[in-house]
Amino acid sequence: MARTPFRRNRSAGFEVVLEAGEAAVLTRLCEELTTLLADEEPGEAGDPVLERLFPRAYLDPTEEEAESDWQRLVHGDLVDGRRRALATVEGTLSAAQLRRGRYELTLSDDQAQAWLAVLNDARLALGTRLEVTEDMDLSGLDPDDPDTAPFAVYWWLGVLEESLVEVLSKSS
Amino acid sequence: MGASDAPTIVDPDVDETVDVARPWVVVVWNDPVNLMSYVVYVFQKLFGYSKEKATKLMLDVHHKGKAAVSSGNREQAETDVSRLHAHGLWATMERD
Repeated sequence: MARTPFRRNRSAGFEVVLEAGEAAVLTRLCEELTTLLADEEPGEAGDPVLERLFPRAYLDPTEEEAESDWQRLVHGDLVDGRRRALATVEGTLSAAQLRRGRYELTLSDDQAQAWLAVLNDARLALGTRLEVTEDMDLSGLDPDDPDTAPFAVYWWLGVLEESLVEVLSKSS
Repeated sequence: MGASDAPTIVDPDVDETVDVARPWVVVVWNDPVNLMSYVVYVFQKLFGYSKEKATKLMLDVHHKGKAAVSSGNREQAETDVSRLHAHGLWATMERD
């Protein structure tokens, strides 16, 4: 990807340009995460993605009571925060106008933060499902090959997120 | 205090007293997904750390597998852990 996806614009917000296919992939990932969170039950073990998105606070097994209290206190808020961010990203995507095969979105600070949260959650979810490791070289994969497409999507999400972190870091 | 016959209150739970005094440490663990730049950004955003300090902590996480990023009483540590989890970082808390 030659261009930088995110840019700071002249006024207050951020701009991102997406190909139609890229916007479609993001929309689908948002839907999948929303479904995952809708099915989510507190304390339910088993799904490695949910365990990664909502880890334990206490490693010490003798702190089980404190862990349960903490989960009761914060878990609902953590789920709601993720749902709100997903709704924001889906809203900005569906409101965007297609021009010459591309979507040009302008995001406020708050919307950009929601995008950052969703891009990171989507990478966590996909990376966990794909069991990625740090030393995997995922650049240059064929997004049209069914075997490598999920890895190509994961890599592309990283490019997007890296770009957004860069513009957010410069503007803070 | 006067020479009354009020009973002297002794807290028998010595361990509890010691526990209250010990700070809790919030630890962030390495994971293969989170971008290094993102982790630095989150440390700066959540804790107000300088770019240099945030980068050093991120590199500790990356190379040593984990780093202590904040400390405090139990409540403060629980708050920091939940903020880190909201940002997708793998954080836990333990006694110092």
